Amino acid sequence: MSGRRRWRHALLLAAITLYSLFPIYFITVQSLKTPEEDVFGSPLWVADPTFENYSELFETGTEAQVRGYAILPKVPFVVWLGNSAVVLAASVALTLVCAVPAAYALGRLRPAGWRWWRRGLFATYVIPQTILFIPMYQVVLALGLDDSPAALVVIYSTMALPFCIWLLSAYYANLPREIEESALIEGASRFTAFRRVMLPMSRNVLVAAGLFTLGTVGQDFMLASVFLLDRYKQTVAAGLGVMDVSLEELVAVAGVNMAAIPVVILCALFARGYVRGLTAAMVEGA
Amino acid sequence: MAMIDARSTSRSYDGTAQRARVSGRPAAARRRRRDQWVAYGLMAPAVGLVVLVMAYPVAWEVWTSLTSFSVRSEGRAFVGLANYQTMLADPRFWSALTVTGVYFALTTGVKLALGLGMALLLTRPSRWRGVVFLAVFLPWAYPGGVTVVAWYWMLNPPLITSYSLLAGNVKHAVDGVFGPGAWAFVSVALFNVWRGGSFTAVFLLAGLNAIPTELFDYAALETRNGWQRLRHVTLPLLRPFLALAVFLSFTTAFADLANVWMLTGGRVIFPVIGTYAYWLGIRNGQFAEAAAWSLSLVPLLVLVLLLLFRWFDRPVEQPA
Repeated sequence: MSGRRRWRHALLLAAITLYSLFPIYFITVQSLKTPEEDVFGSPLWVADPTFENYSELFETGTEAQVRGYAILPKVPFVVWLGNSAVVLAASVALTLVCAVPAAYALGRLRPAGWRWWRRGLFATYVIPQTILFIPMYQVVLALGLDDSPAALVVIYSTMALPFCIWLLSAYYANLPREIEESALIEGASRFTAFRRVMLPMSRNVLVAAGLFTLGTVGQDFMLASVFLLDRYKQTVAAGLGVMDVSLEELVAVAGVNMAAIPVVILCALFARGYVRGLTAAMVEGA
Repeated sequence: MAMIDARSTSRSYDGTAQRARVSGRPAAARRRRRDQWVAYGLMAPAVGLVVLVMAYPVAWEVWTSLTSFSVRSEGRAFVGLANYQTMLADPRFWSALTVTGVYFALTTGVKLALGLGMALLLTRPSRWRGVVFLAVFLPWAYPGGVTVVAWYWMLNPPLITSYSLLAGNVKHAVDGVFGPGAWAFVSVALFNVWRGGSFTAVFLLAGLNAIPTELFDYAALETRNGWQRLRHVTLPLLRPFLALAVFLSFTTAFADLANVWMLTGGRVIFPVIGTYAYWLGIRNGQFAEAAAWSLSLVPLLVLVLLLLFRWFDRPVEQPA
């Protein structure tokens, strides 16, 4: 590349980095402000950073606190974080446990009408979610999962399943048949061949499916706040959403950032695998 | 569609059937039948879960849209397609449908363009590629359900804060031109583009990675400039990825709108189908009308999905 083109490329890279990070930078700056600076300071930087808003999230003690003239309930943020972690992990686990066998069946065993099974599952994405939570609440009640994180786990998994099955089945379908057959010739059962050979090979695709689930689940706020009413059973998204944000805007923003840290670390660790997995599933097959 | 499917099944590569031809017939047939049952067994948990969660709610919604279920009237009488007739006669429905279409087209178009641009930038080798890739990945990875809280209050500041004046000026400028509520709408669209564009970029990057580099070298010889290469080589090869990205963008477009509706306690209503259905159902208690409104998009989405299947569910799958 010539010098000028290299500069242009570097400039564009800088631009997309700035564009992607700016909103996160912006809310982080606000979350580090004192109430005074929130009103009189500059919107773009913080002169006197404080972690007050963050430490308020972790304060223990009385159930209510006084702030200005308002009395506000204390936020059980640590409990919310724990609940979120449980819900996220369980959703990813349930999704993958259901998706992997189904994807193997669709990609490898090809039962009659496999293509329409796969398409049918995918078509659940056209169902409008708008008022669906009303009858869904009836289902949740019938299952005895009222006010339980398990209700969310079950619903979230159905939201991520079709795409995960699609990815994994495409990968298993494209995988050269000899790989599985050589294991079968050596006397392994079909299950062993799958567990020892195909499953490890699809590691990146599993990462892709898992991260997709995480992203889909992390996006929801509405279902969480509808199905979890008990303050101590709520996830971060539900808790912060229901909290009176207009009075504690900065604490809420701080909470957003706190909750994001573990997710961001996870994604950074698996980001490469995610891209490789998507590529492998859609095209390569190996 | 049936034609396409018939073609695909006849052509599809099926190793089990091939093996059956080699070995003895009855045993192979038995084995094939057994494989079928194993396959259904393996699919059962996934299909069961989806049916368990979705079947009743969908049936409820369809049935409700055919009744007079509302807090305003006693009982639930079957009224047939009356709710749909009222809806189609309502000028608000048509304006909402237009706005919905524009919203779909605009956000999806911007997301595809931005995503493709970012993905193309990231395919070129560079010292900073790893860092920039992570930055591009972040908007989608950042838990959106939580970010929407922050995002909304940033763009529509609730109290007097240091940026209220600026945000307020922008809001009034936009509202002044496009009418009240326009800025709120734009802000949600921006959020959708910011988050969805990131997903699209990473998704398309995965697609670009799959294209052999030699192909680009040939293309560089055969075409005159970058635009031609993009149009005649890159885009056709990316088609399945683009189609899947478009569809996922469609389906996620309305989650954000619903989120904002919830966040503002129903204070902000966007004139789109999804939020209007919400408003009818949750605020007014007109469940039947709400069900009809929210189902009105299904035929369109199914049509889009069937069209897109042609691109991302190719009839022929070459054995690698």
